[in-house]
Amino acid sequence: MRKNICELIRRELDELMLDETYSTAAVNHLRECPACREFQQKQTKLRQIVGGLGTVAAPADFDFRLRARLANESSSAATHFNFVAWPVLRRGFVAAALLLVFATGAVLLWNVFNRPAPADQTAKETTPPEVVPAPKPRETVTTPNTPETTPKRDTLTFAPNKRPQGSRIDRSSQLAIRNTRTLATIDSSSVGANVINRAEPGNSSATFPIDASLQSFKVSLDDGRGNAKTISLPTISFGSQRLMQNANQFAPKRVW
Amino acid sequence: MTVKRKIRAAVLVSAALCYGVVAAQTPAPSPKKPAPPPGAATADKLPAAPQVVTIIHRLNGLKMFRLLLRSQEQVAIASLGSAFDLMDDVHTNVIAGLALDDGETIVAWLPEAEVEFGPVPVPVTAAPEPPRPRNAPTAPFPRMSNSLFNQPDITVIGPDGKRLAAKYIGFDGVTGLSILRLTKKNAMTVAAFKNEPLNIGETVLLFRPEPVATTRPMLRPGLYARMGAIEGRIQNILPAPTGGVARLRVSAPKLSQENIGGVALNQAGETIGIVDGMEGTEATILPATLIKRAAQRVLEQQASVPRPWLGVKGEAIESLKFDELMNHGWELNRATALADKHRGIMLTSIVPGSPAALAALRAGDVILKVDDKDIKSADDFTWWLEQAGPSSSVEFTILRPDRPVEEELNVKLSEMMDPSFSFKLRNSFSATRGFSLLDQGIETIALRPPVASQLGTTAGLLVVYVDPVTAAFEAGLQPGDVIQSINGKAVSIYKTDLKPASYTFEVVRKKEKLVVTIPAKKR
Repeated sequence: MRKNICELIRRELDELMLDETYSTAAVNHLRECPACREFQQKQTKLRQIVGGLGTVAAPADFDFRLRARLANESSSAATHFNFVAWPVLRRGFVAAALLLVFATGAVLLWNVFNRPAPADQTAKETTPPEVVPAPKPRETVTTPNTPETTPKRDTLTFAPNKRPQGSRIDRSSQLAIRNTRTLATIDSSSVGANVINRAEPGNSSATFPIDASLQSFKVSLDDGRGNAKTISLPTISFGSQRLMQNANQFAPKRVW
Repeated sequence: MTVKRKIRAAVLVSAALCYGVVAAQTPAPSPKKPAPPPGAATADKLPAAPQVVTIIHRLNGLKMFRLLLRSQEQVAIASLGSAFDLMDDVHTNVIAGLALDDGETIVAWLPEAEVEFGPVPVPVTAAPEPPRPRNAPTAPFPRMSNSLFNQPDITVIGPDGKRLAAKYIGFDGVTGLSILRLTKKNAMTVAAFKNEPLNIGETVLLFRPEPVATTRPMLRPGLYARMGAIEGRIQNILPAPTGGVARLRVSAPKLSQENIGGVALNQAGETIGIVDGMEGTEATILPATLIKRAAQRVLEQQASVPRPWLGVKGEAIESLKFDELMNHGWELNRATALADKHRGIMLTSIVPGSPAALAALRAGDVILKVDDKDIKSADDFTWWLEQAGPSSSVEFTILRPDRPVEEELNVKLSEMMDPSFSFKLRNSFSATRGFSLLDQGIETIALRPPVASQLGTTAGLLVVYVDPVTAAFEAGLQPGDVIQSINGKAVSIYKTDLKPASYTFEVVRKKEKLVVTIPAKKR
């Protein structure tokens, strides 16, 4: 209730001019309420400061210029939606859209014709057929009718296995997947390699695309004594530095 | 008038838009003449480098586990991504390669080449054979037929960015270099090699592959790379004990990890060598003559050539602390005399069953000479063993802590692709008794139940490699199999002490349970 009275009184104080007198209710309230008294003092002080400033005379044609500008803006706003000009503008937009479509098509065609052949495709074209896919070893398997999810217990008699099974996955399927990747997934910033500085020497060689590995290598290991660690390796690295810090070296010092 | 202006503006904006789209999709212009930064060589001054190629080496999950096995202590796989496929690629390594002057042979330092080769040979436990005449031809290292592991997934990209079909010939154990052969003759321009002498202070260019930021990410996403180079200067030339150059030291302020394995050329475009090490802003370079020799070794055998293997760890006397000599049984007076001479290698450990063990070498022994050649440093010792070659006999002059006089000792060296790995595993899991999977040519890594369940079993050992010249391979065991039990006993470690006539492996392959019987015979 008191709060409402304070608000009413403060509104009255706000609306009064410097030289006007307060109502009796306001005077009585100010006598009782220290907060509103403080507010009134601040208001009065502020008004005295503002009232003490000198007046600035407007130029003689101020009113005329203001009206002219307002009229001008209102007229330009009207032409913005002028339907008489719209068909002409529309032709321009159509021409621009056609140009855009043509340019995009040209770029697409250019990319199609200049796309580098995938590694395996090139290898297929150029490699003589001396590397034949490894045949599966002959084996006699008795497969009981068990669900696929549970391991099947089979007796397997192997014929001499001269060659292991060709267990490499088909890279063409990987390439198909790679093409759908976004650029963010192959950010190599984490591998510590620097992007070439064009101003450095040796940059006159050809640029070529690289298909980085899709699958990352992240494994958790434990040594059976409660020591566990996780190893995560980048999908791509540049240079012949070893992937794992404590990996052996080919020319190990002090080991013969 | 206003409308016309607006139409013109619209057309101009459209044209600008179209240009923007086209420009965004146009490949980065070949920076043939970049602005030279102060103090750096310009592209104009660069020699053409037709001998520098790019090599892309891919590793699948199984090979990565094999690498893990070599780099870690005895571990088990506790968790793995649910969609992880053992046979799928997990890593792509982009390195520099060097085309030799025959225009067909490519040499490169594949950092993870060891995962492409067979495991360590079983040490000979029988009495040593009579010494073979020095420099007698040695039997080639067992050449593996085309298999999952011996035909690495490698792509060669020429200097012009075109892919070249190549075949992996073999690995040189001495230098660690891999040798490839282009399947198409004259596919590359022949480049000159710099013959010695080399001069200290000479400028060299160190070529390395680097990623390039693409300017056309919208339609052709992917990572782009090319061969870049930095400048360096020859700081030091390390002579080989037999004459010639053993290594070059090159100082290059902008040296980075990507330079390892890179190719060094001089300003005339002649090949200097391959970067085989790095420390701070200094790189060590394997000179062209040794690279050619390595290629020749592999090409002659048409297979991988191992390095000689003694089966020891040691340290040059010159770099040993006095206490270390004393700790190995040397008395004060004799240790002082040894330290003062600054020569010899003190052995600190011996691999059980190795040539050193068979020759009764012990920790604490000091090898003073190899075939009458004084050994002053570890590099000297390495050099003379390499000169002797794998499977050859050498004569050591040794001093022992408990013997007052020098002794002559004949040792028949063995051969090894990866001495460190053999040292670690043989030391940890001595194969002198019982049955060891490693001795059967089977490399495995243990799986914890959550991971094993992904492969259709409850626990076991994941086979990451099977040597193609073993009974296990003949019996049909394959990489990717999970061994659940051997002769009915669940397995979770590398070896057991079983000694029956044959071994019955229960394995899970592609979630199907199979039984593989391996006769107990030596490889």
